[in-house]
Amino acid sequence: MNKTEKERIAEEEQKDASPVIIQLGIFAAVLFVSNILSVIMPKAFPVPVPVWGLIILYVLLTTHVVKLHQVEKLSGFLIGIIGVFFVPSGIQMYKSLDLIKEDGITLIIAIIASTIILLITVTFTARLFISISKKIRNRRA
Amino acid sequence: MQFINNTFFGIFVSVVVYLIGLYLFNRFNNFFLFQPLFVGMILGIFVLWILEQTLGVSSTIIYDAFWHGGKDNFIGANLLFWFLGPATISFAVPLYKRNDIVKDYWVEILLSLIVGLFISLIIIYLMCRALNLSDSEIASLLPQSATTAIALPLSTSIGGIPAITAMTVILNSVIVLAIGDQLVKWLKLDTDPIGIGLGLGTSGHTIGSAKAVKLGSIEGAMASIAVIVVGIVTNIVVPLFARLIGLK
Repeated sequence: MNKTEKERIAEEEQKDASPVIIQLGIFAAVLFVSNILSVIMPKAFPVPVPVWGLIILYVLLTTHVVKLHQVEKLSGFLIGIIGVFFVPSGIQMYKSLDLIKEDGITLIIAIIASTIILLITVTFTARLFISISKKIRNRRA
Repeated sequence: MQFINNTFFGIFVSVVVYLIGLYLFNRFNNFFLFQPLFVGMILGIFVLWILEQTLGVSSTIIYDAFWHGGKDNFIGANLLFWFLGPATISFAVPLYKRNDIVKDYWVEILLSLIVGLFISLIIIYLMCRALNLSDSEIASLLPQSATTAIALPLSTSIGGIPAITAMTVILNSVIVLAIGDQLVKWLKLDTDPIGIGLGLGTSGHTIGSAKAVKLGSIEGAMASIAVIVVGIVTNIVVPLFARLIGLK
């Protein structure tokens, strides 16, 4: 099963990419449905539109309703230039300059440190869990 | 004054500062402080600040011109920002391509994210206390592992300041992009691609995931799954944790 899945993905990768307009159509449809789902969700438990979209597109791909060649090119393109899309968010901090002035350096230090804490803790925990589970699997095998 | 009330002003500034960043990054052998996003952000803020000083108008007017092309227009830099939505759902593709890893390790992945997130919250809380931050500042930092749309309402509900949370989530991405993979290498945590991917996705959100995709297919897939799972887990865990430490 696992191997056929892998083969299937490899096979899908071989196919010619669908026309851009079809790829756009799939993206638009997914985002449209995500938007509806996101509005329906209770306010206390928000799931943002892009996260819904990620889940829906992943499920569509996994169930082979949408084929890899129908979305791969557009998604690769968007991921490739995501840095540019993020620039306005960064410049948006211009609005919050007053915030930094007040508690300035300490807050920035706390933010940098907490980013590093998140990165290291999660990476370390995952590495630990995966190595433990690999040992258990090996012993069983 | 008229020339900044222009729908292309914000887009133009954003793209140009990014390109300057890209040029510097290549020119100085990919030195981490010249990450295009980081340089672009600083330069962009600087440009807006200079405009504010020279034109002698309020920062709100400059910001509105940048964000949606001034009072008569609806589109400016927010058009580029809008594309983060389609770009985020694109991560379904690298995730699907490594469905083999997801199927083999989904229990470990979920456990690592939940446990890792909880331990991080404790360490972040202790660090904030050590730095003498106020309760509202701590409440602003706790939801940072989620994306903006989840983190901001969460921050408000536990007594944080949304503007600080927004800034934190943005800085997360920039920091992870600049030093993320180097840091993991220095600490010799780079033996497991699943771990790296989950770490980059959790701390750097979609930008961290874009970096992970560049490192390898497993890293990319794991970062994508982290973006989904961490957003949802944060929604549940952070309010509980806030209550536990008596924030609100």
